[in-house]
Amino acid sequence: MSDRKTRTRMTRTLATLASVVLLTLLLLPSQAAAGLNIVATTSTLGVLAREIGGDETEVRVLAPPDRDAHYLDARPSFMAALRRADMLLEIGAGLEEGWLPAAQSGARNRAINSGQPGHFRAADMIELRRSITVDGPNMGHVHEEGNPHFNADPLRMAEIALALAERMGELRPEHAAMFTQRAERAAERLREQAKALAEQVEPGQRIVVYHEDLDYLEEWLPVEIVGYLEPAPGIPPTARHLRSLVSDLEGTEGTVLYAAFQPARGAEFLERHLGWPTHAVALEPPADTALDGYLELMTTWAETLPQR
Amino acid sequence: MPLTPFSRPVFSGLAALTLAVPGAAMAQWTAGDGDSAWGMDVSLILDGIYYNELSHGNDSPAGFDDGHDHGDDGDHGFDDGFNLGHSELGFQARLGDLLDATVIIEFDDQDIQVDEAYLTTRALPGGLQLKAGKFLSDIGYINNRHPHEWDFVNRPLVNEYLFGDHGLLEKGVQATWLAPTATYTQLGVELLQGKTSGIANYEGSQSALNDQDRILRDRSGPRLVTAFAKVGPDLGPDHAAQFGLSGGYARSYQVTDEHTTRFEDWDGSAWFAGLDAVYKYSAGRAYGQGDWRLQGEYFYREIDVDRRDVNFAADGNGPEGFVRNEQSFKNRQDGIYVQGVYGFAPRWEAGLRAEALGLSNDVGRGDGESFGTSYRHTAQVTFRPVEPVFLRAQLAQNDFIDDDGHRDRGLEFMLQLNVALGAHGAHRF
Repeated sequence: MSDRKTRTRMTRTLATLASVVLLTLLLLPSQAAAGLNIVATTSTLGVLAREIGGDETEVRVLAPPDRDAHYLDARPSFMAALRRADMLLEIGAGLEEGWLPAAQSGARNRAINSGQPGHFRAADMIELRRSITVDGPNMGHVHEEGNPHFNADPLRMAEIALALAERMGELRPEHAAMFTQRAERAAERLREQAKALAEQVEPGQRIVVYHEDLDYLEEWLPVEIVGYLEPAPGIPPTARHLRSLVSDLEGTEGTVLYAAFQPARGAEFLERHLGWPTHAVALEPPADTALDGYLELMTTWAETLPQR
Repeated sequence: MPLTPFSRPVFSGLAALTLAVPGAAMAQWTAGDGDSAWGMDVSLILDGIYYNELSHGNDSPAGFDDGHDHGDDGDHGFDDGFNLGHSELGFQARLGDLLDATVIIEFDDQDIQVDEAYLTTRALPGGLQLKAGKFLSDIGYINNRHPHEWDFVNRPLVNEYLFGDHGLLEKGVQATWLAPTATYTQLGVELLQGKTSGIANYEGSQSALNDQDRILRDRSGPRLVTAFAKVGPDLGPDHAAQFGLSGGYARSYQVTDEHTTRFEDWDGSAWFAGLDAVYKYSAGRAYGQGDWRLQGEYFYREIDVDRRDVNFAADGNGPEGFVRNEQSFKNRQDGIYVQGVYGFAPRWEAGLRAEALGLSNDVGRGDGESFGTSYRHTAQVTFRPVEPVFLRAQLAQNDFIDDDGHRDRGLEFMLQLNVALGAHGAHRF
């Protein structure tokens, strides 16, 4: 160990060099302070932020709209986006619990920590429907707080828009009035569209859905959920469960809806045995749209049902 | 870490209690699915392994005996038949907006130990984060992952033989920084106590024999420093990747080995460097069908020690205290693994892993020797009936070379049942 002195000197030089590099990088302006940098977990929340913020915001959506937002990884790119965010919008109620906590902590950004104004949790702003996951059996995803798939309800989205505008106004007081105004306009359009579409649909519709992700259609369309293709939330359809659905629903009329990313087999089975039409639908609007994208999505949901 | 010394009995008690009345304990702890900003999340991982050695090969790869802790507790060696695998009880709590606290208690049917116990800051400015306590080092990719997060039943050879049975697990502090860039860029350094068998084995001073001092002496910690960088480009919704570079320097690497009449002592230093890469493809179909995960790591380790043997009993060479075999030498060794896992059906995946240990395998002890390379090939099939449960069948062929250059292949079969209860562990990348 004769070269210990050299080694110490080397370590010191390296340490100094590292500190200089680190400090330089730390002091670099991280981003232009003008716009509100918003990261939304789902594209429905992205739609609201974009509609309310207009040119004053930059919105990034994490979960691809055609994927199940329950099952994602805390990707490095998510953390990089959250690192620079002024605001994080999440659905909450357990929807993103499998990956968001890791991404949030990995982002090393205090502004978006739970409890900070920069963390907006939509589920806190509204009343949720009861989730069927609490009826057991406990298979991992138990949403005791309620059903987190309220993005299928434009009336709740209207309430969330108003709450979001208020929060965005706290972070950018100079634009608060504009945010509120735009949110009120968005809420109005959502409610009008919901009403118009509900009036187009033949009353008394019965639907079977794959998961509890379209339950909130009951809240604004004249439909009743009469069954789920999954035997229990998170469990793929079994032959026995599908047969029992068929025997329960034999001789009645209805429609089967499922998400495009869910397997079609169960729906096809019901179509064969009950003669019910089936539709694969999107659950989320495209990632880069504003309110029009969501209004269009509402229309596609309503148009899967028999029209007046 | 102030937690460790006195927390052991407390947590052991807690663990025992939870095991004794799992129903009651779980009901109490998991209440409230909501924003658990002030609550405590508790998770219980239960792991069982059925092991069957179909044919016996060489026990261990040539060149890697020294300083490697050979299974008194059978951590990496399973009994033929049923084994309780790596089960753990995890607690995670938040101190408001300031700190996260994590404690992971590992247990099998004989031992309970604190695997990890650390605090992580959440509120430092500028993308900085500090971690303090006992934790798995963030070097490489698999090192900071617990067994239930692995794609195969057992640890890669390179991680086990270059670091230790638990990977690089140390007490210390870590500072990391996430750059404010669109491409994920994380830099980190760790100051660690330094006692992991493969890279920073520590013995401390040993009593003199017949007035003859040993070369081993006390060295205060921290004795091991590591650094790492991780980069993860944004590749859109279907693809994701992360690349890492890491290294470390242990200013103390000590070994003592008891022979018939003498102690063989090594005292010196060690360093390592490695590369890791992971790529994930998401097909966007339900239950993981069509998804791919590819990962690989390479590590190189160099040990630079002085050796000096001292007799503890008189023999043909001399009396007690007689000194011989004084030499300085280096061991240069490395290892690599590459693995891929594919979701071939909803809830089913299959994987292959190829490993090589000792591509360079130069051991300088004595006259110096270059040993051959050992290999292992592993295949697995995993089924997840529901998300928190998996059942895995694994077949591994060990192709280890022994000190004399003879290869002998062994075949092992394992069946693993793993169940996660309680709070959801977040899916790290």
